[in-house]
Amino acid sequence: MLTKKRLLTLVLVFALVLTTGAAAWANSAIFWTAPNPPQEVFWTEMAKRFMAENPEYNIQVFPMAEAPSSEATILTAIAGGTAPAASENIFIGFGAELYESAALVPLDTLEGWDELIAARNMEGAIKGWAFPDGHYYILPIYSNPILYGWRIDILEELGVDRIPETYEEIIEVARLAQKEGLFLMVRPALGMPTWWERWFDFFTLYNAISGDVPFITGSEITADDEAVIDVFKFYADLAKEKLILTQDIPDAFATDNAIWSELGPWTFPGWKEQYPEMVYGETFALTMPPIPEHHKDDAAGNTFADAKGLVLYAQASEEAKQAVWDFIRWVFADPAHDLLWMEATSLPPVRDDLADNPVFAEYLAKAPELVPYAESLAFAVPPFTHSDFADIQTVLSEEGLIPVVRGTKSPEQAWEDAKAAINGILNR
Amino acid sequence: MERQKLTWPRFVRLADKYGVMILRWALALVGIGFATAPYLYMILQSLAPWREVNRRLIPSSLTTRSYEWLLQGSATAVARPWLRGFGNSVLVTSLSTLCMLVVAMLAGYALARLRFRGREGIYKFILFQMFYPAIILLVPQFLIVRYLGLYNTYAGMIIPRAVNIWAIFMYVSFFKSVNPAMLEAARIDGASETQVLFRIVIPLSRSITAVIGLFLFMERWVELLWDLIVVQEYPMMTLNVMIATMSGPYASYPGPLYAASVILTVPIILIFLVFSKHFTQGFKFILK
Amino acid sequence: MKRLSRGEGVTGWLFTIPYLAYTIIFFVLPFLWGLLLLVSEWNLISPVREFVGLGNLLEALQSRRVHAAALTPFKIMALFLPAVLIMSLGIAVLINSFKKRQGLLAVAFFLPYLASGVSMSLVVKGVVSYTSPVNKVISNIIGFVPDWLGTPSLAILVIALMIAWRFSGYYALIFLSGLQSIPGELYEAAQIDGAGRIKSFFKITLPQLYPALYSVLILAVGLMFGVFTEPYMLTGGGPNLATHTWYLEIYYQAFSTLRAGYASSIALYNAIAVFIVVGIVRRIMQAWGRAHGWED
Repeated sequence: MLTKKRLLTLVLVFALVLTTGAAAWANSAIFWTAPNPPQEVFWTEMAKRFMAENPEYNIQVFPMAEAPSSEATILTAIAGGTAPAASENIFIGFGAELYESAALVPLDTLEGWDELIAARNMEGAIKGWAFPDGHYYILPIYSNPILYGWRIDILEELGVDRIPETYEEIIEVARLAQKEGLFLMVRPALGMPTWWERWFDFFTLYNAISGDVPFITGSEITADDEAVIDVFKFYADLAKEKLILTQDIPDAFATDNAIWSELGPWTFPGWKEQYPEMVYGETFALTMPPIPEHHKDDAAGNTFADAKGLVLYAQASEEAKQAVWDFIRWVFADPAHDLLWMEATSLPPVRDDLADNPVFAEYLAKAPELVPYAESLAFAVPPFTHSDFADIQTVLSEEGLIPVVRGTKSPEQAWEDAKAAINGILNR
Repeated sequence: MERQKLTWPRFVRLADKYGVMILRWALALVGIGFATAPYLYMILQSLAPWREVNRRLIPSSLTTRSYEWLLQGSATAVARPWLRGFGNSVLVTSLSTLCMLVVAMLAGYALARLRFRGREGIYKFILFQMFYPAIILLVPQFLIVRYLGLYNTYAGMIIPRAVNIWAIFMYVSFFKSVNPAMLEAARIDGASETQVLFRIVIPLSRSITAVIGLFLFMERWVELLWDLIVVQEYPMMTLNVMIATMSGPYASYPGPLYAASVILTVPIILIFLVFSKHFTQGFKFILK
Repeated sequence: MKRLSRGEGVTGWLFTIPYLAYTIIFFVLPFLWGLLLLVSEWNLISPVREFVGLGNLLEALQSRRVHAAALTPFKIMALFLPAVLIMSLGIAVLINSFKKRQGLLAVAFFLPYLASGVSMSLVVKGVVSYTSPVNKVISNIIGFVPDWLGTPSLAILVIALMIAWRFSGYYALIFLSGLQSIPGELYEAAQIDGAGRIKSFFKITLPQLYPALYSVLILAVGLMFGVFTEPYMLTGGGPNLATHTWYLEIYYQAFSTLRAGYASSIALYNAIAVFIVVGIVRRIMQAWGRAHGWED
C-alpha cells in the first residue's frame, strides 16, 4: 500500500508540474512553424523579440508535427477543433483544400494588409496568390526553386570536366561513377508513395521540359503527356542499370556516396553543422534540372518552386487572431527580419526587391550558394492547385513513378494507368 | 574400431554430465543476445560520433553529443521539449494504468463476488467487448473526444484509455478463484462490502495487480495510434509520439533519435526489472 | 444471506458504475455513431454531410489499396507464424530444461516485449540502410546489398521478424506454463515404449500443449490484422502497397484525407476479416485438439 501511495503522490506532482498548457489570457496566440528546424529557430527568435518589445502579448511558437505529413496534422487539428491561430508551411494546393472547407481567414480583409504588402515589397509577387473569390488567404513567405547539386570534386576525379545537362549525358557520367562504386543518386523516396516527394523528383524534371503547362486545370488532366513519359523513361533507364539507389544512405550526397542530388536551400544549415567540407564551388555546384537531348532547343528550362506561406485559421478566437496578426505584421514590416530569415533558413523570401535591395545583396555575397536560387526564382513553377493534391500525387506514385522505377511497367503503360487513377479522383 | 566402441558411450556420458549443461547455457546466452541486441545497438549508436552512426557497429570512441544536441539544440535546431515529452509519457501512462486498475478491480470484484440484478448481462457484454475490434470505434471515439473538448489534452489521452476490458476479465477470474469462506467470515463479522474490498480483497490481489498493472503500463507506454491522433502539439505529446513525428525532420540526425529512443526505453526496462519478482509469480495466473 | 443481498446489489452496481459509464460513452455511443458515419460522406471539418447509403462500402470493395491491405496480414502471417512458433517454442523448451534460474531467463527473454515499435523501427531503419555494418557483412558474403525495404518479399520479412522478435518471449512464457503442466508420467510411459526425444516431442509434448498453442495462435493471428507502427515508420505501406495494412489504410483515409465514412467502412471490413479468419483458426485448432483427446 505504501508504494501505491507513493506512486499516487508522484503522479499528482507530475500533474501539477505539467498542466501548464496553452494559457488563455488576452493577446495570446499559438503559431505553428514548419517541421524544419531552422524555420523554428527563426520564429522562436521573432516571438521572443516581439514579446520583449510588446510585453502585453504572448505568442507561443510550436513546430507542427509530421504525422505523417504536416498537412495531415493541420487537418486533424482543425477536425479536433484546436487549430492554432496561424501557421506557416501552407502551399497553394493545401490552401485550396482549407479554403473549400472555409477554414481560413481572408487576410486582405484584415486591418493593415495593404501596408504589410507595401512594407514587404511584394505587390508584384502577391498577384499569383489570389483565390477564386478574389481574396488572399495565404501570405507567401518564401518561394524556393529546387535545383540539382553536382559533386564537382568527384566529377573531376572521374575525368568529367563539364557538368552534364541532358539525360543522355547524365547516364554516361553515371556509368563512370558506377565503375568507382558510386551512385548517381541515392533516393529512397523513389520507392515510397509519399505524395510530396513527387515535388522533388517528378515535378522538377517535368517542369524543366513542359514549363508551366499545368498538370491539372480545374478537374481535368492537362499534363504534357510526352514530357511525363520522358521523365518516367529517364528514371526507368537509371533504375535498369542500377545507376540510382532507392535504399537509404543517410546524407549520401555529402558523404561521397552519390554525385547528384536535388537540393533545396534548407539543406545548407544542416551541412554547416554536420559537413562543413561541403563548400559551394569547391565540392559542389548547383544547376537547373536536366532535360532529354531531343528537347535541348525547345525545353522551357523551368523547375519546381516549393512556395509556402502563412495562414490564419478561422476557428481561432478573435483575440488570438488579432494577436497573431499584430505579430505577423510586426515581423514582415522590417527587412532586417527577412534577412534574419534568410540567415537562419537559407530560404529566399518572397519579395520583389530580393535582387536589388542592398540588405539582401550583401548577404548573398557572403552566401554564394544561395545566389543560384535567387536567380532562378523567375523560372520556378509552383505546384498545381487542386484540393485532392495528396490523393492525386499518391496515385501518380503508386500507378506511375514507382512501378517504372521498379521496372514492372513501361513508362507509357504507367502514365496510362496513373491518368486513369487520377481521373477517378477528379471525377469523384 | 576399438576406439570408437570406447569413446562413444564415454562421450555420451560426459556429454550428459557437462555437455548438455554447457550447450544449454550457450543456447540461452545466444538467445538472450538476440533478445537484447537491438537495445544494445540503440545505446551504442546514441553514444557514437555522428559520422559513425549506423555505419559502425562498435563506435571508435564514445561521445554524448547526441544527447546534448537533443536536449540543448544548436544553431540550426531548437531543442524539442524531450524531457517534457518523457514527463508526459510518465503522466499519461501512470494515470491511465491507475484508472484501468481501479476500474477493473472494482468491476471484477462486483462481477465475481457480488450478486446483483444484471450481473450476468454485464459479464456477457464484457466478453462481447473483448472480441469486438476496437478499430471500428477509432473515428467515432475521436469525434467524441473532440465533442467533449478533450482534443489535444492529457485527458484526451487518458480518459478514453481509462478502462481495459482484458483487465476486468482477469480480475473476474481471479476473484472467482478466491476462497469465498474468507469473504463470508469478514461479512459475518459485520464488515461492509467496501471494507471487505479494502481489507481483504485488495491485499489478496497484490501479486496479480502487479502483473496486470505491469502489462497495462507497458502497453500504454508504447501506444502510438491513439496518441498520434488526439494530440498535435509538441508540449503535449508523449515521448513515443514525439520520436515518431521527429523521425522525418531529424532524418539527418539519427544519433539524437537513438538518444531519444534510449530515454524512452531504458526506464520501462528498469521498471520491469524492479517488478520482475512479482512478474514471474503472477504471470502464471494470467495465462490460465 | 438474504439479509445482505440488498446491500450487495447496491454495492455491485456502485462498483460497476465506472465501467458502465465508460462503456456508454466510449463504446456504445461510438458504436452507434460509427453506423451513422458508415452511410455518410463527411470530411470531419465541413458542415456538409452527405448521405451515400452503401456507397462507402461499395467503393472500399473496389479499392486497390483495400485489396492490398486485406492481403498483407496473410503475407506477414506466412513468415511470422513459423518464425514466432519456432522461436517461442524453442525458448520455452530451453527455459524448461533448466533446473534453476528459470525466472531469470524468463525475464530476460521477455525484454523484447517492452520495446516501442517506434524505437525498434529506427533501429531497423539504421540496420538495413545501405552502408550499415550488417549490410557490409552480408554483401561480403552474397556479393550485393539486399534492398530490404524496397523489395516486397524482403520488406514483409523484415516486418514479420520485427513482430516475431517482440512477441517470442511473451509466447514462450505461455508455452512454458503449458510445458510445466504436462504430467511427467506421460514421458516415462513413452520411454518404456522406446520413444526417442524427438518422437516424444511430437507425440506427447505438442498435443499436450494444445491449450497454450490455441491461445498463442489466436493471439498471433489476431495481431496480424492490427499491424500499424512498423510499416508506418519504415515503408509507408510500400513498396507498391506490398506492406500496406488495414490500420494504415484506415488511418490514411480518416486522418490524412479526412474521409470519416469511408474509413469507417474499411474498419468494418477489417473487423469482418478478423472474425472470419480467427473463427477458421479456432475451428481448425479445436478439431486438432479433439483428435488428441481434448474437449472444447
